[in-house]
Amino acid sequence: MASGVTVSDICKTTYEEIKKDKKHRYVIFFIKDERQIDVEEIGSRDEEYDSFLQKLQAGGAGECRYGLFDFEYMHQCQGTSESSKKQKLFLMSWCPDTAKVKKKMLYSSSFDALKKSLVGVQKYIQATDLSEASQEAVEEKLRSTDRQ
Amino acid sequence: MSGGMLYGGDEIGALVFDPGHHSLRVGYAQEDTPKAEIPAVVGVASDDVKTEPEIKPEENNVSSTPSSNKYYIDTTFLHLPKPNMELHSYMKDGMIENWDLFEQILDYSYEKIIQSESHFHPVLFSESPWNQRQKREKLTELMFEKYKVPAFFLVKNAALAAFANGRATALVIDSGATHTSAVPVLDGYVITNAVVKSPLGGDLLVLRAREMLESIGVDLTPAALIASKEVIREKEKPKFTKKKFNFQPTNSWMTYMVKRTVQDFQQTVLQVSENPYDEKVAMNIPAVQYEFPTGYHQDFGPERFKLAEGLFDHPMLGAGYIASTSAGMCDVDIRPALYSSVVLTGGNSLVQGFSDRLSRDLSSRTPGSMRLKMIAANGTVERRFGAWVGGSILASIGTFQQMWVSAQEYQECGKAQIDRKCP
Ligand SMILES: Nc1ncnc2c1ncn2[C@@H]1O[C@H](COP(=O)(O)OP(=O)(O)O)[C@@H](O)[C@H]1O
Repeated sequence: MASGVTVSDICKTTYEEIKKDKKHRYVIFFIKDERQIDVEEIGSRDEEYDSFLQKLQAGGAGECRYGLFDFEYMHQCQGTSESSKKQKLFLMSWCPDTAKVKKKMLYSSSFDALKKSLVGVQKYIQATDLSEASQEAVEEKLRSTDRQ
Repeated sequence: MSGGMLYGGDEIGALVFDPGHHSLRVGYAQEDTPKAEIPAVVGVASDDVKTEPEIKPEENNVSSTPSSNKYYIDTTFLHLPKPNMELHSYMKDGMIENWDLFEQILDYSYEKIIQSESHFHPVLFSESPWNQRQKREKLTELMFEKYKVPAFFLVKNAALAAFANGRATALVIDSGATHTSAVPVLDGYVITNAVVKSPLGGDLLVLRAREMLESIGVDLTPAALIASKEVIREKEKPKFTKKKFNFQPTNSWMTYMVKRTVQDFQQTVLQVSENPYDEKVAMNIPAVQYEFPTGYHQDFGPERFKLAEGLFDHPMLGAGYIASTSAGMCDVDIRPALYSSVVLTGGNSLVQGFSDRLSRDLSSRTPGSMRLKMIAANGTVERRFGAWVGGSILASIGTFQQMWVSAQEYQECGKAQIDRKCP
């Protein structure tokens, strides 16, 4: 069951710019006029995770958002001393406890539409607070599906 | 009332119905709380003295209930005993079972609560995750054919509760009156073959509490039968006078009223201990004083915890157990997402200490590689009316208006359209 909220083309093109061209580090999406998911903010390639978190919460404690991030970390293959750089795209829904039920409902019931539009995302993360959205928590989630 | 001018207006409010065993929640979409919470029982009194027994309704028009029946609905009417008034539940196993009685409730809702005509308002109904196809279609048919609603929608209550808590994917633990269920929701859809339910809910607590109270000799005469009472000292024999009726209230009425009495005790006094019940620990927690409708009052100590323990200590049906069983029936890939989104809802989850204990029991069952996160709305309204609140918001979202099954679609495609649009 879904809200019927749609995804604007600009979301898809911005996503492709990250996925294919590595043009940006992250995108923040929001639901415009309760109708359509749109791009709110684009983070340049050299921005850090902290700035992503900041932008995600820029609307205040009562707001929800979605965020897409091109995450990099070092992966060590077991039994070898080699490590390789891994890159994974994750899509996060940010619905803090403090948000109004109305916002939570709108964002959670529209998340699936965004998921379906952005093909090739490796991980989906639902976050209500920093224990789920922090860099460490996210890295743990991304690593959990790596082969040891 | 003429509806002519209403047609001209653009905004006709949708209605949201959330039927449960304890009550039916009903109200306008977009509002924060239901307009009414109607007890899920109907009082039926058949008149013994039939004045005109010979008037027969048209052959093809015979209603299944004799026209001499009188129906009593909602707290005020139910709580007043009447000769021959038997109370019946119309729900069974989380689903609507007695449609005649349910229609009475709907008639009442439109007339007394909504106070508007049914053909003006789209209707969203919540349903239990295991609702049967035939019942879903029957409800659809009823709403379109009898109530002439312009549009209709059915949503699983667990999905609504998950959304209202900000999650599209979640393991919803819903503890109501007659059962507790663990329902995995993935991207807004219930994984129906992994739903696990147990018959341990609020009613079980009421039953146990009643047994305990009767065993220590507490008089459970309901407030509705008490005319006056005196102030007495703790544990002193109550001094009260009963209201006089020139008839004997029915057994089903008495049973229901005693249940309501014990329910209040249960909600005020019972508490789930954080760790499995241990009498020594429970002894050291301050007792709670409770006064019954008769005026009798006393302190309750370890019993408070011992009674509530029944929700958790069962090896196969305890809340923690059914939650992990349900997660275990889902695809390995989504289990981490479920454990990290355990949403708690339902009135019975408000028993003090419920969420802490569930969290404790479930964390010991969470696979080492996964993280457990429990999400439980703080407000009692959100918890008791989680599904209703979710439905209320959903039905008011602008883009949702295209999701309804419209009367026209129903005319063209029939009742099975509900299975296509609201799987
Ligand atoms: N504040 C409370 N504390 C403890 N139990 C409560 C509270 N409020 C409601 N309940 C219990 O919750 C149950 C009803 O839950 P609900 O989710 O409304 O059930 P249903 O969906 O079956 O109608 C009843 O057993 C009632 O006693």
